[in-house]
Amino acid sequence: MAHDRQPPPNPTSQSGLPLRAAYGIEDVPADHRASIGILPGEAPFHRGCFAQGYRTKPWRIFQLSGYGKPEDENERIKFLLKTGETGFLMEHDRSTADHLYNVDHPDVVARREDVGMTGAPMQSVRDTHLCLDGIPIETTYGHAGGAVVQHGPFALAAYWTVARRRGLDLASLPGTGQSDFFLTYLGCVTKQQVPTQAGLRLNADIIEFCGEHLPKWVPVSIAAYNGGDTGLNAYEELGALVANAIEYLDEIRRRGRMDITAAASRCGGVNFRTTMDIFEDAAKLRAARKMWHRLLTERYGVSDERALRLRIHVVTSGSKMTYQQPLNNIVRGTLMALTAVLGGAQSLGVSGYDEALSVPSEHAHQMSVRIQQILQHETNLAAVADPLGGSYYVESLTAELERRAWSFVDEVAAQGGFLATLDSGWLHARARANQIKEFADEQSGRRVVVGVTDFTDDVSPFVVDGFPGVNDAYDVALERLRAVRRERHEQGARKALVALEARCRGSANIMPAMMDALDQEVTLGEIGEVYRAVWGDWQTPELV
Amino acid sequence: MTAGQRRILLVKTALDGHWRGLSVVAHALRDAGFHVIMGGMISGAEIVRAAVDEDVDLVGLNVGGHTLVVERVIGELRAARPQLPIFAGGVLPPSACRRLGELGVETYPPGSSLEAIVDAARRLTQVHAEPDAAPP
Repeated sequence: MAHDRQPPPNPTSQSGLPLRAAYGIEDVPADHRASIGILPGEAPFHRGCFAQGYRTKPWRIFQLSGYGKPEDENERIKFLLKTGETGFLMEHDRSTADHLYNVDHPDVVARREDVGMTGAPMQSVRDTHLCLDGIPIETTYGHAGGAVVQHGPFALAAYWTVARRRGLDLASLPGTGQSDFFLTYLGCVTKQQVPTQAGLRLNADIIEFCGEHLPKWVPVSIAAYNGGDTGLNAYEELGALVANAIEYLDEIRRRGRMDITAAASRCGGVNFRTTMDIFEDAAKLRAARKMWHRLLTERYGVSDERALRLRIHVVTSGSKMTYQQPLNNIVRGTLMALTAVLGGAQSLGVSGYDEALSVPSEHAHQMSVRIQQILQHETNLAAVADPLGGSYYVESLTAELERRAWSFVDEVAAQGGFLATLDSGWLHARARANQIKEFADEQSGRRVVVGVTDFTDDVSPFVVDGFPGVNDAYDVALERLRAVRRERHEQGARKALVALEARCRGSANIMPAMMDALDQEVTLGEIGEVYRAVWGDWQTPELV
Repeated sequence: MTAGQRRILLVKTALDGHWRGLSVVAHALRDAGFHVIMGGMISGAEIVRAAVDEDVDLVGLNVGGHTLVVERVIGELRAARPQLPIFAGGVLPPSACRRLGELGVETYPPGSSLEAIVDAARRLTQVHAEPDAAPP
């Protein structure tokens, strides 16, 4: 069908910026023109945070991974490390982790075969031990999971408890948490979740706890990716990330327990997506660094250069990976990874070519790593920092995205701030409008997706049916949950839970109590019961 | 709601909260004149109750998990309302599409056109003559 498709008469960028046929110096706004001569490593860092670019710091190959039982996830992580990833990400089972349910919760029992489909169920520190078995976490950068806000403290405390029991010094432990508001309250709205204000408090507790005990750890990571893949366009993704950071940093400042420069530095490890609009998304990453610099200097008076450097993790857009002709996704993954590198990302995960069918198979994971290795070693991409710098087109896009993103920050502020836009559903409505437009463009032929809307003939002999996983994750998890209940020191566990609840009801940091609870083998579902008793449930706005 | 308007219940079978695909489908169905009821993340028994209480003409399952969970939901729905048509979308590898096809459930995996989904909804809600069994 439609092999003669003509390009649309008035092309725009993916986020709707009008595009000229070619760009000249006059297309770069005067206030941005002055900053073109700035070099990578110089403020305001749109050209990159480091003068040497990837010469001294190659980007981290950082793939999301998880399925089955904790030992299955462990095996996959070890496979990825052996294949060449340079950091690892733990994915927890969604049905249990996102909701803080044990596997015997009725909502999980009703869907028991789902357990282990998207990550391993980890209900107590014993499971985290199994998942991390034999992995040198003292030297390997790890993502502890806890992507959903209410799950963050549990996932982090479990990881750190494993580290402690191995005799490691938390002060030198490298890694990151997530506790992402975009995922939790916008992109992947769970059946049950603590209200946004309680979520903000949990995140502030994590930030302060890391400031005191884990200086090498990124406590929370704002993942605007999850806003983007839910529908926010490039400048909305940028603006919403800044609006989210404002909530965290204002809260830290209001609490007055932590130096704002230290907090800003801790919060400066964020996540964006790249999509198939190469130059707009590379420009987005450049604009993000510039905006971060301006936010911290102007709003918070931060002057420490190290704190002003935004570190960016990129995940290639999962929603751009097609179900039809999935091997085409290897090309898409390569292009989106290239975009991340052109934009100067510090770490990168490439979605699996089977993204639209399942969690990645071992081979899809291998391909995601190989794509990155080819870019790192065969293309000379890593030799020169910010190769797009000075391009009239890219500098113009950078300036325009920044301008629109700041006005989006103002729009969010006018709504009462980032949390208010989640509570009211305002941000969901913005995302929804873009979702619908994107599909309408596909229907009308304005947007071509190869192998889906056009060029659908396929002679591929490769059958891709998604990754089947294992079928015993639920049964094993249930048996292990019973074993924990049977074998733990019950009085100690009860005491730790009571102490945790008292912390939740008060204002002191909950993290020391969470660490005690994990050490006493308190389970995921019990933490959830405490939260639900203390904070109740978020009033989800109407999504659809 | 307009008299004679066909009623569709959309639900998520898994406890996975991604809602983008469901949102676009719901919007297209509403645009096409259907009355869409969003059931959210409810279990098989709750889906049956909603389908009966709301007297729907069609159930749409948004799949984000294991096929066995979907099969169980289909079984429960069929026991209560044998003639009620069901269609499914979401994360559905080819083998899952085949399995659900064998059970008489049409599948619309990622990349399906909204036009095809709306057409299916029209077709599936047209013939609905035989009386249903009483709910258990």
